[in-house]
Amino acid sequence: MAITTKSFEIFCGTGGVGKTTLATSRALSLAGENRVLLVTIDPAKRLKDLLGLRSEDMGEVTRITFEGIELDALLMSPEKTITRMAASYNTPDLASNRIIKVLSRPYGGMNEILSLVEVQMQFDSGKYDVIVLDTPPGAHFLDFLESLGKIRSFFDQNFVEIFNYLGQKTANAGKKVFSFNIINKVISGGVKKLLSYLQKVTGAQFIDDFIQAIQIIYQSKEAFLKGLSLQDRLKEKSQCNWFLVTSVEQGKPQEAIELRSHASHFIHEDHYLVLNKCLENELRDWSPTDNKLKNFKSSLEQRESLLKTKLRESFPEVLEFPEVTSISPKDHIQHLTQNWKKHASQS
Amino acid sequence: MNDQPRRLYIFTGKGGVGKTTLSKAFVRKLVEQEHEAIYLTFKNQSLGETHQGNAEAIVDGIKEVHLDLEDSARGYIDKKLNSKILASWIVKTPFFRALVNMVPGFNYLIYLGKILQMGHDNPRLIVVLDAPASGHALTMVEATTNFKQIFESGIIFDDATKMLSRLNDPAYTKIHVVSLPSPMSWQESIELKSGLKERTPVSIEISVNNSIYSLLSEQLAELPEALKEKALNEKKLIEENASEMRCVFPHSLALDSKSIEMDLLGSVSKLI
Repeated sequence: MAITTKSFEIFCGTGGVGKTTLATSRALSLAGENRVLLVTIDPAKRLKDLLGLRSEDMGEVTRITFEGIELDALLMSPEKTITRMAASYNTPDLASNRIIKVLSRPYGGMNEILSLVEVQMQFDSGKYDVIVLDTPPGAHFLDFLESLGKIRSFFDQNFVEIFNYLGQKTANAGKKVFSFNIINKVISGGVKKLLSYLQKVTGAQFIDDFIQAIQIIYQSKEAFLKGLSLQDRLKEKSQCNWFLVTSVEQGKPQEAIELRSHASHFIHEDHYLVLNKCLENELRDWSPTDNKLKNFKSSLEQRESLLKTKLRESFPEVLEFPEVTSISPKDHIQHLTQNWKKHASQS
Repeated sequence: MNDQPRRLYIFTGKGGVGKTTLSKAFVRKLVEQEHEAIYLTFKNQSLGETHQGNAEAIVDGIKEVHLDLEDSARGYIDKKLNSKILASWIVKTPFFRALVNMVPGFNYLIYLGKILQMGHDNPRLIVVLDAPASGHALTMVEATTNFKQIFESGIIFDDATKMLSRLNDPAYTKIHVVSLPSPMSWQESIELKSGLKERTPVSIEISVNNSIYSLLSEQLAELPEALKEKALNEKKLIEENASEMRCVFPHSLALDSKSIEMDLLGSVSKLI
């Protein structure tokens, strides 16, 4: 079955399976006929060098050329995304709150939400036909999408009312951003008690800063909610392709299957299991005579065939990519790009 | 074996490099040497709707602990406020859930707090932590520093300070980065190591797992083309970076993880 090109192409999977390389080659295979943006989180230096990306480019859309193919690439920088959000939604506080600053460091942990916001902002720019998103490693991205409902409820009025109430109660929480009039007495009673206990643990200043951070994030809710609304698009078969990547080397079909079942109500039928580093073709014509080598061959073959059987039982389509050992990463990328084109034209 | 074992070993690296098997083999080795060692991993990353609970089991003679975030948080607050009822109430409140789920790294602070508490309660305990894949290991190590800066005072600040001094104590903690013998994986491991080095002064060692070259070094010529090339690339990588590699573990011919673990047992003691 040929793979139709969609507006969003999402690559998920645990690290070390070649996810970033596959996403990059997919982007390159589409770049000839489409305006493509590749958004990636934390590629290894080798790949950055190969694409001609420098550390200074982090957080900025950069035009790259690979073997005559041109496309835009963006290395995610949470800090830069926050700055862009603050500028485009005119909420300068977003970039100045102490807590938000600490959390938007590269490993502060806001990668997932900010990559969604960033992809949405880039899509809205109208400059791209296709955005290829290489997600942060692990099951975390799908866990994260799963929890979006909860984050959305964060922006529900009732919830924020509590924080505004707390904002008024804490002495130096800074400016009051919103005013709501009716606060449920029962809730506020409980909140007061909770606060007094929590302050013992967290210190009073933190409560103030946290409440302020929440108010500021709420001010920028438009940006966050737009980012969250991206999930509706991703649920649409016509808008998005999902690629779950694993490798023979990794040999963990269970992980890929769990990954999908985690997100079963999220991922639609256009999802592909990408199995990287297959050795089948390589091993077929090899007939070693030595016993150790015979064992070696049969263990590799058994592992790979067990893996494929399990994956084919669980996924509508398994795309196989062969192990490429050529030392040149450039050749590697080209090889994978050709493979994508082959998969795309198969019918 | 002159080295006295550390109290906390953190195994990190990309998924699929064999962290779990290697850390289990390492626990088994420590137990063989009559240390009180356990295998520990995290069950979940956020306070979800379904509460799974901490789980402990003895699997093939090795104690495995799978920590649940909500249980760990409840235990922590209980210790601080000295009330189980208050602790149960607080972890169920929307405010607290928002705090933990919206403030990334808070989960690791809770988990690390729990691990250090276990180490405090049992001075003989050695915890072998099968840590989340790369980027998240950095988030984890950075969490304590971030939280010191976020909470300028209070119990969490004091605790984060304490945790930091433990985590950063070379006699207490050691980090193992597990890599595959491919250039890409190696490069990433080097980057991870230097990222970790910026954040903590403890010893960080890289080991290479699943090496075909190391298994078949005498028979490379007989391998089919792609595998031969792969093994030769491994050879080059291993020879060029030998001084940076703590251990090279050969590819195992076994099919199930328990047998692979047994294959590793012979050489894991170097990781102590």
